[in-house]
Amino acid sequence: MPLLDIRNLTIELDTPHGRVKALERVSLTINPAEIHGLVGESGSGRSLLARAILGIPGHNWRIQADRMMWDGHNLLEMSPKQRRNLMGSEIAMIFQDPSSSLDPVIVVGDQLIEAMPENKKLHFWQRAKDQKRTAEKWLHKVGIKDTQKVMSSYAWELSEGECQKVMIAIAVANQPRLLIADEPTNSMEAKTQAQIFRLLTKLNQLHNVSILLISHELETLSIWCDQLSVMYCGQIMESGPTSEIINQPFHPYTKALLNNIPDYSGLVQHKSMMKTLPGSAPALQHLPIGCRLGPRCPEAQKKCVNQPKLCHKKNRYFACHFPYHEEPCNDDATTTS
Amino acid sequence: MPQIKIYQEDEIPSPMKKIWHSFSDNPFAFAGLWAVIGILLLSIFGPLIAPYAPEQQDPHALLLAPSWDPAGTVEHFLGTDDLGRDIFSRLLHGAHLTFGMALGIVVTALTLGFVIGAVAGMMKGLKSSILSHLLDALLSIPSLLMAILVVAVMGPGLNNVFWAVGLALTPQFVRSIHQAIHEELQKEYVTAAKLDGANPFQVFWYVIMPNVWDTVIIQTTLGISAAILDIAALGFLNLGAQAPSPEWGAMVSQGMDNLLTAPWTVTIPGIAILCSVLAINLVGDGLRSALSPINN
Amino acid sequence: MARYLLRRLNLFLATSFVLFIVLFIVTSHFPVEKSFALTGLHSPNAQQIEQIEKNYSLNDGQFSQFFSYLQQRLSGDLGISATSQRPVIEELASVLPASFELAAVSAMLALTLGIPLGVLASLSRHKITQHTIMAITLTGYSIPVFWLGLTLSLWFGVQLGWLPISGQLNLLYEIEPVTGFVLIDTLLSDSPYSTSAFIDALLHIILPAITLAVLPFTVVVRITRAAIITIMDQTYIKAAEARGLHTSRVVLRHALPNALIPVLKNLGLMLGPFASYAMVVEVIFAWPGVGAWLVSGIYQRDYTVIQGGVLAVALIIIFISIMIEVLYTAINPLSRKELYASN
Repeated sequence: MPLLDIRNLTIELDTPHGRVKALERVSLTINPAEIHGLVGESGSGRSLLARAILGIPGHNWRIQADRMMWDGHNLLEMSPKQRRNLMGSEIAMIFQDPSSSLDPVIVVGDQLIEAMPENKKLHFWQRAKDQKRTAEKWLHKVGIKDTQKVMSSYAWELSEGECQKVMIAIAVANQPRLLIADEPTNSMEAKTQAQIFRLLTKLNQLHNVSILLISHELETLSIWCDQLSVMYCGQIMESGPTSEIINQPFHPYTKALLNNIPDYSGLVQHKSMMKTLPGSAPALQHLPIGCRLGPRCPEAQKKCVNQPKLCHKKNRYFACHFPYHEEPCNDDATTTS
Repeated sequence: MPQIKIYQEDEIPSPMKKIWHSFSDNPFAFAGLWAVIGILLLSIFGPLIAPYAPEQQDPHALLLAPSWDPAGTVEHFLGTDDLGRDIFSRLLHGAHLTFGMALGIVVTALTLGFVIGAVAGMMKGLKSSILSHLLDALLSIPSLLMAILVVAVMGPGLNNVFWAVGLALTPQFVRSIHQAIHEELQKEYVTAAKLDGANPFQVFWYVIMPNVWDTVIIQTTLGISAAILDIAALGFLNLGAQAPSPEWGAMVSQGMDNLLTAPWTVTIPGIAILCSVLAINLVGDGLRSALSPINN
Repeated sequence: MARYLLRRLNLFLATSFVLFIVLFIVTSHFPVEKSFALTGLHSPNAQQIEQIEKNYSLNDGQFSQFFSYLQQRLSGDLGISATSQRPVIEELASVLPASFELAAVSAMLALTLGIPLGVLASLSRHKITQHTIMAITLTGYSIPVFWLGLTLSLWFGVQLGWLPISGQLNLLYEIEPVTGFVLIDTLLSDSPYSTSAFIDALLHIILPAITLAVLPFTVVVRITRAAIITIMDQTYIKAAEARGLHTSRVVLRHALPNALIPVLKNLGLMLGPFASYAMVVEVIFAWPGVGAWLVSGIYQRDYTVIQGGVLAVALIIIFISIMIEVLYTAINPLSRKELYASN
């Protein structure tokens, strides 16, 4: 049974320009103990999806879904309080900007302790000391050496990488089953990036934590993830095992993304054009109907004004009327009829 | 081949237009604006529409209740005071004393404060630090104490209120403009402009000022409401406008003797002050929230 | 930190020095004999004149006059009051506690009611509740304080007869001043009526304190609300929610401490208007404090009283505003960040 199973999630935002479908019919399946990558440009609704899964929606959101199952329980039917409990214990999230995700007026150690469950077996006078010890243990595990000093520092006294490590420690301190990492290495040096990713993989291997890794770098995700989902403008374009997607993309967008990766082999001619899709991602209030890639897609035809259903080929999913794939897709017929 | 428009054109409104839109979206602020315009007109044309002269006494109508009271008459719409003077006419004649003078004071103090604040803000080091100490000292004297000092030197009177309130307001303007400019000066875009070879005046006028105007506007509305309240408070304490004057605060103070028998002599001028300050504050509040999204 | 405190102390001294200069200049412009303006002696005899000229160096240049003036004032000689013929410093000592008492009670009222209401106003998603709270606070902010005082005393004091409207304590009670604060003195007093005297003092302070509290209350509500609304959109609040913390805990532990910082900063700026309002309130409710004393001083052209009062009030305001600034730095880790950066 998948850990998280989302079918046709639609999020509408109330904006000054009217109601906008920021996410349209998004499906996502995460199995236990896998690292699932979610790739997409900024503004494609990745963070919205992450927040919807976690359950901290904005006040102008409207969420609809056919199904949103967490380990056999329906997330849509839960009360806010149950969702909040779930957040604390089973799902955790790391945010894009670690230093502003930590409260600036409270020392880091207190925030870490706050996130940890109290050990009910101990007497209350022993708990504080025990919590402190556990907090230090966690900080040590995420690769912070001077735990004492970091515990008594404020967020702005630490570097971006240290903050992110603290955020990860806070997220994993409850031993969650799913960790959502929303651009965990945004604006970090390459060395720190590698550290963070290695840390996440280690958590995945040692503690069996499933991870939803969100990023805009297909290259990075392809190294670290087992499964990959590609998103464009609030729609899922393609998803499947990483190696298969990289080797043979079915969707024009995935292929374009792969072509975007710079080739360092030196075969490219000097001053030649980089391969990119024409145009740019549309603004939220000017989304095209049907397949949202339509106006930019090299394969687009008349049929693309209808949104393609996600179709299924072995363990690959893709939503396209004209995929790079010979055999016709069975699910596709149901869309047109 | 004509270009096909795939996306409809997105008109981006100018900042002024944006501010106006978000200001006029707020019904309270808009109502406040109309009220301010109304009071402004009254303070200019009030004496023309007033049915009586401010000091004209009607010996047959002493302490007459307002017209909606069974004892009142329509001739004296808001009633009369203990000398038989028509309160409605006095309010209209007093509008330019309270409201008009507040505007005058704020304009004067703002001009002065703007010049000093701008000069001080652009300065650095010892001079700037001496000036800010001086301002702190002046700011620590509350407006009423400043007024008492002025009255002690020059004696009570409406003219001296101008000096008293102006002297109390100017340091506030200087300080806020000084601070705003000082904050902007430390930002990167100012450095960029300096590196582009802008001289200090260009840096001040074309680079910094566009980001300081909203502080100036907000301070102005705050200053007007503070000035009205101060003028009225001085009139009430008999330190400002003197007895026969129809200044609103002085009217409250003159009505005090009859507070128990004729409460309207106190209530009506008080409500007039409240309404005018409220209108100004509504406009100020609307402006502040209209200006703030630009800052964010 | 020591360096910072030293700089604040320096600021206090410099500002006070400037204040003395301003007062000295004003004193020399009073429309009376200079020796009278300085000492309050109406018709001094020859010996006194000599003494005054010696003390204030009246025959020397402006500079030495100023330094003699500074010397006299700093040694506690504020002259004598022209009306009561008592030393100004004594009178000041007798009126200051009453003002402090009133100010403390209303500041406490404003903070204890204002902060929770501000938080509630910011969390309420209900349009009507929000508009109501904003309308009430804006009205409270615009109301002329003397009119509010008169109206309240007319309703609650005269028409309903619930509360006393003038003075600090009923004249029937004879309470020996120990601290000068009537609320404390009545409790300390060992007279058999001390409890009823305390209740009487409490009743006396209600109306003036409420009248004075309206302005800071509205300001506190508005600033708290604005601050919480901004802070609730910050990432660290979302992160705290994502940790599964209860909403009340998120608000109390993460949002409120961050919101109190701008509130504290604005408290310092509010001191001036607050002092002005306090003076008017004291006059209306015949509260025997500095404000009423100063205003009666100006009615009687008692120049020494005016100087002494202005000096005392301004010095207190400078001191408290610097204390607030120090407190702001002490409780706000973020300001220390700037401090580290600058040094």
